Amino acid sequence: MQAIRVEALTKTFRVRRKEKGMRGSIKAILRPQTEEIRAVHGVSFGVEEGEMLAFIGPNGAGKSTTIKMLTGILYPDGGRVEVLGIDPTKKRRQLAYQIGTVFGQKEQLWTHLTPYDNFRFFGAIYDIPDEEMEHRIGELAERFELHEFINTPVRNLSLGQRIRCEIVASLIHRPKVLFLDEPTIGLDPVVKEQIRNLIRQMNREYNTTIFLTSHDVGDIEKLCKRIIIVNDGQIVLDDSMEHLKYHYLHKKIVEVKMQEETALPQVAGITVLKQKGSHARLEVDTGAVEIGDALRQINVENMEDINISNVPLENIIMEIYRAKDRQQVKAAIAPVG
Amino acid sequence: MNRYENSAVSNAGDIAKRRFLGQLRRGHGIPGRKYGVIYRSVLMENLQYVANMALGFFGYFVFIYIFIKLWEYMYRTPEELIAGYSKEQMIWYVMMTEMMWFGSNASAVGWQVKTDIRGGNIAYLMNKPYHYTLYILAKYTGEWSIRLPMYAGLAVVIGTVMVGAIPGFRLITVPAMALCIMFGLTINAVFKICIGLLSFWIEDATPFQWLYDKLILVVGTIFPIEIFPGALQPFFKLTPIYTVCYGPAKLIVDFQPAKCVEILAAQAVYLAAGCGLMFFVYRKGVKKLYVNGG
Repeated sequence: MQAIRVEALTKTFRVRRKEKGMRGSIKAILRPQTEEIRAVHGVSFGVEEGEMLAFIGPNGAGKSTTIKMLTGILYPDGGRVEVLGIDPTKKRRQLAYQIGTVFGQKEQLWTHLTPYDNFRFFGAIYDIPDEEMEHRIGELAERFELHEFINTPVRNLSLGQRIRCEIVASLIHRPKVLFLDEPTIGLDPVVKEQIRNLIRQMNREYNTTIFLTSHDVGDIEKLCKRIIIVNDGQIVLDDSMEHLKYHYLHKKIVEVKMQEETALPQVAGITVLKQKGSHARLEVDTGAVEIGDALRQINVENMEDINISNVPLENIIMEIYRAKDRQQVKAAIAPVG
Repeated sequence: MNRYENSAVSNAGDIAKRRFLGQLRRGHGIPGRKYGVIYRSVLMENLQYVANMALGFFGYFVFIYIFIKLWEYMYRTPEELIAGYSKEQMIWYVMMTEMMWFGSNASAVGWQVKTDIRGGNIAYLMNKPYHYTLYILAKYTGEWSIRLPMYAGLAVVIGTVMVGAIPGFRLITVPAMALCIMFGLTINAVFKICIGLLSFWIEDATPFQWLYDKLILVVGTIFPIEIFPGALQPFFKLTPIYTVCYGPAKLIVDFQPAKCVEILAAQAVYLAAGCGLMFFVYRKGVKKLYVNGG
């Protein structure tokens, strides 16, 4: 069953425009000018129950606007949205009982209260009976390892501790769908990994559908099986992570260390990215030249060390971000030949 | 359906019924319980700042001191009445309205709504299972619940020491007065929320807040309505001023049961109309929401 269904979703904002300087300010009073900004345009997709989806895009692509329409905060101008069979614009409060949201850049916790008091607060807001609430707080506190600081005011917690508490506050009512908007922003690698493990665990144990937006490729790569990339208000890629990684990764990075400095081959499909003394970094387009053939072009007998790796996912995503529509995306990432 | 299935259904029904009754006993499922929880949380939060709040006492004292001196100058003889008020009544009237003004910090409620809408924070408050406006109202009530009693205590001390007891004051009338003050502050907050909600349409609702605040301050807070020309008085009695500050303060300085009933009835009408307006404006405005950064 689909947890989220979106059809031809559209949202346009009208923003004020003002010419520069004092003259522009006066003109704006007398003759205000506005401009229409198409934030989301004809977006359609579905998310299965229990799926972990990465919904990403460059700044201003329309991803946060889409999340806000999915959670009933913004009203769409056109199209249809259904989250767990509920129309968010018509039954926002009913939907609120079934979904959770974590916005990494916004605090929902009361900073002067302790995490425990906050959890009690959220539990009461979601009409959870007292005994059940205690049970859930205990369970989540253990799972998220909060015992050390559960009675410390939130304002005194570290960012990592706070984000863990933010996630627990969003889970107290056991939501079926969890919207995570940059949940690991500003965290150190250890805490990031901890948060990712917890999200994965939650998805596995409660079958929670995860809708994630993040600029951190690690979050996307380690958590999600499917990726939707939006740009300029439109979906430019909707694919499985596996497909994206292994089908589109047609470029390999070859790093070699030669015994002595040698001239590198000038062959189609091999690009020298960097050469410094006996060290060289090459990009091999396996669509144009087989990796074996490419290696044969390098003097193997003179080779001291070699390392072959894929182009980082971050680079692929960057190329997709630069493309404006699906055709350009295909052209940017499809294998040559 | 066989015997066992029947019994299973009956058991499930009993369990659900028991669970429902249990929840009801503990307060779950009671409409408004969650707003009580919001109120309690603000109370817990604000209790940590009692000392900070007390810093405002100085401002209140200076303000009241000036008015005591002003009215002492205006009243030439102790028996003189101005607009039907004795000197003690007049000073206590100002002390009570100012107590409500300082003790409620009402400007914060309109400011919060405005900032939530313009700054986009409303987006993160809207997707919870409560009504945003009632959330703000509960939060605000939690804030004045601590401040107001502190200012009331200070007002009683200043008044008793510098002016003397309120003529004809009876302790038995305090609950009715407290009720009137509570309603007055709530009505004020509801109207300030309504003005704040205008931020859905306009860039800045501050000028409207300013106009409303000054109207309440001049007509009803600093001076009782009776000071103004007779022709204007019926008009003022139709505005929120009558229910927000004039009514409760008038009851404190000159309690009359009939007047109390009249003020409470007017407050009930204003509260119902104000809440209706607040829900209507919110419902219309929320569709206009534009949140920066998506």
